[in-house]
Amino acid sequence: MKKILIILLLAGLGFYIATTYTGIGFGEPHFKHGVKDTYLKQTVQSLHVANTVTAIVVNFRGFDTLGEVTVLFLAVTALGSILYKKRHEVGVRSVLFSSSSIVTAGSKLLFPAIILLGAYVFIHGHLTPGGGFQGGVIIATGFLLMLLAYRNYSVSHIILSIVESIAGITFAGIGLLGLIYGETFLQNFLPVGVLNNVFSGGIIPIIYIAVGFKVAAELTGVIYTILHEKGESNG
Amino acid sequence: MVGTPVLFIAIPLLAAFLIPLLGMIWKELVRIVPGLVLIYLLILAVNLLDHVMVHGPIIEIIAGWAPPIGINLVFSAFSGFLVTIMIFLGLLIWLYSYRFKKNVGYEPAKKYFLLLMMLITGSVGIVLTGDIFNMFVFIEITGISAYGLTAFYTGRDSAEASFKYLMLGSIASTFLLLAIMIIYSQLGTLNMADIANRIHTMNPTYKIISLIFFITALGIEAEIFPLNGWAPDAYSEAPGPVGAAFAGIVVKASVYAIIRYIFTIFDVDGAFNFLIIIGMLTLIIAEMAAIRQEKLKRMLAYSSIGQMGLVLVAFGFGTEEGVYAALFLMLNHAIIKSLLFFSGSYLVYNSKDKLIAEMNGLGKKLPITSFLFALGAFAIIGLPPFAGFWSKLSVLTAAADKNMIFIMSLILFVSLIELVYYLRVVNRLYNSKEKASSIEVKKPTANALITMLVLGGLILLIGFYPDVVTGVLHKASAALMDKSQYIHNVLSINQ
Amino acid sequence: MDNALFDLLDYAVYGTAILVMLIGIYGALAKKSLLKIVIGLSVSDSGLNMLIVAIGYLKGGTAPIFSPGYLDGTNKLMVDPVPQALVLTAIVIGFGVTAVALALVIRLYRHHGTLNIDEIKNLKW
Repeated sequence: MKKILIILLLAGLGFYIATTYTGIGFGEPHFKHGVKDTYLKQTVQSLHVANTVTAIVVNFRGFDTLGEVTVLFLAVTALGSILYKKRHEVGVRSVLFSSSSIVTAGSKLLFPAIILLGAYVFIHGHLTPGGGFQGGVIIATGFLLMLLAYRNYSVSHIILSIVESIAGITFAGIGLLGLIYGETFLQNFLPVGVLNNVFSGGIIPIIYIAVGFKVAAELTGVIYTILHEKGESNG
Repeated sequence: MVGTPVLFIAIPLLAAFLIPLLGMIWKELVRIVPGLVLIYLLILAVNLLDHVMVHGPIIEIIAGWAPPIGINLVFSAFSGFLVTIMIFLGLLIWLYSYRFKKNVGYEPAKKYFLLLMMLITGSVGIVLTGDIFNMFVFIEITGISAYGLTAFYTGRDSAEASFKYLMLGSIASTFLLLAIMIIYSQLGTLNMADIANRIHTMNPTYKIISLIFFITALGIEAEIFPLNGWAPDAYSEAPGPVGAAFAGIVVKASVYAIIRYIFTIFDVDGAFNFLIIIGMLTLIIAEMAAIRQEKLKRMLAYSSIGQMGLVLVAFGFGTEEGVYAALFLMLNHAIIKSLLFFSGSYLVYNSKDKLIAEMNGLGKKLPITSFLFALGAFAIIGLPPFAGFWSKLSVLTAAADKNMIFIMSLILFVSLIELVYYLRVVNRLYNSKEKASSIEVKKPTANALITMLVLGGLILLIGFYPDVVTGVLHKASAALMDKSQYIHNVLSINQ
Repeated sequence: MDNALFDLLDYAVYGTAILVMLIGIYGALAKKSLLKIVIGLSVSDSGLNMLIVAIGYLKGGTAPIFSPGYLDGTNKLMVDPVPQALVLTAIVIGFGVTAVALALVIRLYRHHGTLNIDEIKNLKW
């Protein structure tokens, strides 16, 4: 009975959303005086950045990204607070079966390559698709692979938290430097360089590298905390 | 001027990222730093509010791009007033929980103060921002801090209350994003002033659909009637001061968001009547539920939901008197409900199973706390000469101006219900013939006592000299009503 | 003929996104296992993100990246970059919420030894 009600409710909601969005139309320009034209023009002209999405995420709407990084930071903090136990209760990771030597050797081989790919993705975030979040996630998958392959692989919580803090301070600190050297928070105060060079875009690559480190540290922290949660009930 | 509005966000964020490092140097810093940040922000808020009263709103652009392109913050008399209340309350909550968290270990304390500070920052951001997507980001910051704080105690039910809150919160963010994208697809902008300027060119069907999605989403956060299932559990399972933070800070920010959408951004006429209807429903149903509660904190939670309903009714009048009354109510609710939550927490500690029925004779054992609770109870009912009287009076006059006799009588009837259930608790505290159990009572700590006395003093101050706040309130309500001025102020900013 | 087919495909993009979203919400509301509820929330987030990206699409547009090849080429139409930037934010926020939700599920499992929501309900819904 409850399920039928839910299905009816969702059918109504779906119809509502679907008619709205099909009315809006797909693949057509919907509006005349949007901000996107300014974004596309200014990205090349005044920021000298190739990737417009990066320019929006880090500069035009950089304040959103600062908030977003904070959401991740808070998620890690809340996770730690929710799963907090006194030290002697911290469980050993429950492993159902140990990995074969092919898996362990292969992971060791892949790990540096994954880290390198992640670093490449966030360093070139302003030139090619990708950026701090994507690169950070790739690095975190490298750590996930190692944690799954090796039973005793451990990451230092203190180092993760230091990396996280320093990256966050870099982001907020660059914002404040913009307020001091320029006029507004997060304003670009460095020379913008030449389009399609690695060293271009002023503060954008610096912020994205900081974001990359932060996301990598935070995601690794989340995975590590959840993996070290003992399965059986002990409370 | 001592700073700019962006510091309200930047300084707490910087501090939040610093706290884990500072904690490695000296553990006590994780408790002290949030307080220092809040003290600084309070000084900043008071200064800026003073400036705004004379010179008009401050519009701050971020990243050097003028409004429709970049994000901007608006510190007007209206938003500045709310920010000042929130930060003041946040400071008191910090002071109240400072010693109270002494018996908690280092790690949980660090997380508690961090999340509390970010809860306040997120709410301040919701109020200050001038961009609808940025508001979504701040709502999520507030949300995640609130989920973490609700589940702070490792008891059984807190995780469940938090999970419930989280589920509703995720559904809210889904609706919010849908609404934001409908607006973006039609107007190609995310800036509030720009949207308000061009909303009349939007197809009315889409306008109404997006408004419905917005109100559904924000209604979950603001505890509007059918969407407030999370609130009583979250209030009663969260630590005492966090309940005060929800009632005084988070809900106010969400109500602000609804009001901003209806008053400034959308030009839908029926929205005001809709606010009155939904507000009355929330008020009546919440107060009916409050009278049946057996646990004090749940009762306070329902009472808080009811008060927010009354605030929405007052906003729904759509007149300047209505807005004035609503802002006065919000101010009083922030002060009085916090006092009730603070003193109520100690009453709850000293009673079995958090039940009201177990509070017999606590008036003798905890004289000051009980007295302050009674003061808060009388103030929130709206008895003269306390602060609540003036706000209720202004709601009634605003209703009388619009000739809404039916609404007036309903508000008076609901006040009667409030009187019954608050007096029931006060009566238990003082006039109990039963012999109270002889267990040792937990006395409030010095910090908690100071906090409660400050709040009690404020209630009396506003009660006897309402003129101390009316000037600010009039300016703030005028700032909200003047929509074209808002649009002009934001869009005329150049780099 | 071609046009009709393309029209149908247009609806298919929105339709798929909305369907994924609704499946997710159904999972979150109707399932009994806490883990499935969290999965449902996550799925509905994905559907929503697809929908947002689809709004920014322009027929014949390229990715909004001014790489050297693009600057020399002739096709100058680009898709709307704003929804893509917004989706990036929405994904990260969705991840944060999912992580907190999983932590809460772990806590509930630790206390109750079950994931069935009917056996956990202590508080009134």
